[in-house]
Amino acid sequence: MDYAIETTDLTKCFGSLTAVNKLNLKVEKNTIHGFLGPNGAGKTTTIKILVGLLKPTEGSVKVLGQEVQVDDADSRLGIGYMSELPKFPKHLKGAELLDIYGRMYGMSQQQRAEQIPKLIDMVGLKGRENDLIGKYSKGMQQRIGIAQALLNSPELVILDEPSIGLDPVGMVDVRELVKTISKEGMTVFLSSHLLFEVEQICDHVTIINKGSVLASDTLQNVSGMISESPMIHVELVNLSDAVIAAVKSLTFVSGTWKTGNTLLIQVSTRDDVRAQVSKVVTGAGGVIVGMSQKASNLEDVFLQLITKDQGGKTQ
Amino acid sequence: MTKMQKTVRASPSWFTRFWAVVRYEMLWNIRKKKFIAALIIAFVLATVDLAVPAFLNVGQNPYFAATFSGGSFTFFLFGIVTAMNSISGEYESGTIVPLLAKPVSRTMVFFGKLFATFIVILVSYIVIFSYSTIGGLLVYGPQNSLYLVPLALVGDIISTFIWVAVVLAAGCISKSSLLALLTALGLFISLFLGVSVVAAFSGNAGVVGGLNYLPGAGASGTMNVTAGQSATIANVTVNTLTSVSSGTDSIGANMVKAVLFPNASVLFTHTNVLSNPIGPPTLLYTESISLIILRAIGVAFLYIAVFLLIAWYAFKRSQILE
Repeated sequence: MDYAIETTDLTKCFGSLTAVNKLNLKVEKNTIHGFLGPNGAGKTTTIKILVGLLKPTEGSVKVLGQEVQVDDADSRLGIGYMSELPKFPKHLKGAELLDIYGRMYGMSQQQRAEQIPKLIDMVGLKGRENDLIGKYSKGMQQRIGIAQALLNSPELVILDEPSIGLDPVGMVDVRELVKTISKEGMTVFLSSHLLFEVEQICDHVTIINKGSVLASDTLQNVSGMISESPMIHVELVNLSDAVIAAVKSLTFVSGTWKTGNTLLIQVSTRDDVRAQVSKVVTGAGGVIVGMSQKASNLEDVFLQLITKDQGGKTQ
Repeated sequence: MTKMQKTVRASPSWFTRFWAVVRYEMLWNIRKKKFIAALIIAFVLATVDLAVPAFLNVGQNPYFAATFSGGSFTFFLFGIVTAMNSISGEYESGTIVPLLAKPVSRTMVFFGKLFATFIVILVSYIVIFSYSTIGGLLVYGPQNSLYLVPLALVGDIISTFIWVAVVLAAGCISKSSLLALLTALGLFISLFLGVSVVAAFSGNAGVVGGLNYLPGAGASGTMNVTAGQSATIANVTVNTLTSVSSGTDSIGANMVKAVLFPNASVLFTHTNVLSNPIGPPTLLYTESISLIILRAIGVAFLYIAVFLLIAWYAFKRSQILE
């Protein structure tokens, strides 16, 4: 398989500290891959090696099929990268920064003239592009950081904690943005502390701790690493026996409980089956007031794996 | 949300990327408050240079513009303000991370920044030299040998670049603009004091001559021009023309003197200031003006090359932990 990122026994030591320890990471192309781990797990160090900012102590790294070497400028042509809490020269204006970075990517004047206003609009900085970055808020710097990461329409976008510093609206915008760029054929490798964010936008997940991979698979498979089954809560105007019987007839339903006019349904699948449940409930004469599925338990998996890896103690 | 346009990925030329770094650095340099302050100081110094002889009623000086040159402090000042945080500032602010994540090599970034520094210093000096030339015309009347002005300017840039190289090396090693400044300032003050002490107290030709191999003023001497040449411009600025410092800070001024007096020699003497009464000057050694120029240029380029090599190597090898 052709991977966007492939590391083999990647190791990085700083003196006696091993920040990344024989990390084997595979990121499939055209996926949104979440990169999770507690503070100090080695996420940022790994990312810096991927973009050629740090030299690995051992192991190899391939990005977009090309071996990554420190200071190999051409290997970064197809990569867009935003660091955690990115800092940009305060003396430059937002549009100037994108223009200069665009030149570094070898974008023509016409390409820059077309791409930069679109990106500024996309990240919500329209009207502020001619302000000095020194006058930008933390959130605005984050937004210009996302814009510069997408400047060259990269094949691979690496985002290190893209939501840090953003307000709730900004966080939603980032999620939508990531989904959009993924639909346009870009591979997104996203490091985040926000598990709900990863659950909402990623289709693949890697969890690391102490520089090593604890789990790496599709979000569905990683979420299914612990046995707890998801529950669907259905609130009805009147909960009848006919409705309960119809729900029980569904093959994926492993149990039901009645609480007033609310029916709790345990399902044996991690697929979103709310539409099928809704269909049989209304077919049996039920009127649905509300329906929700218990959030995916990536957080539980994450905590369980990290706790186990740290000998039973959470951070 | 606007749909992004897929950019056709071109393979950018080395020059395109290099020039992008130059633009990046130049915009930084010309917007630095300390650069603007340095420019103001340079104008004040040039104005003093222009006005003081006029106040002293020196009279007409047709060689004012041709012999105008910056001094040690100007070279140090411009070297420091343009290069002090050129690379170390990127580490301190964290801007090094997005910069080096772009498809530009560290060598490209280093030399792009260096070239931008050169352009900024060149343009600043052109403005200052133009100001002194126009000022010379207005205050001292018609000026002779104006073709020598660019020669002094080139020499001054070489002198300035020693400090650019020193501060870049200190900044790349320490990743701290403050440490880079303190290192360069310490060296500047040490050289200034060291040269002054040696010049005042040493009567040893080897020790005095050794000053020429350090950055800075070097040894001080008096130019001995031939009778014919002396007659050409005598009674004009004889004092400033005949006083010669042989170090790297006087490359521009000495190149002008060498053109005006190609066959001149410089006498280096020592006066024993500790004796009572103060002893008469004794001749230590004599050198031709052309030898002084060639040696100063060679020493300057050697320091520039060594310090730039150290700076480049430190930058190239650095880990981006920011």
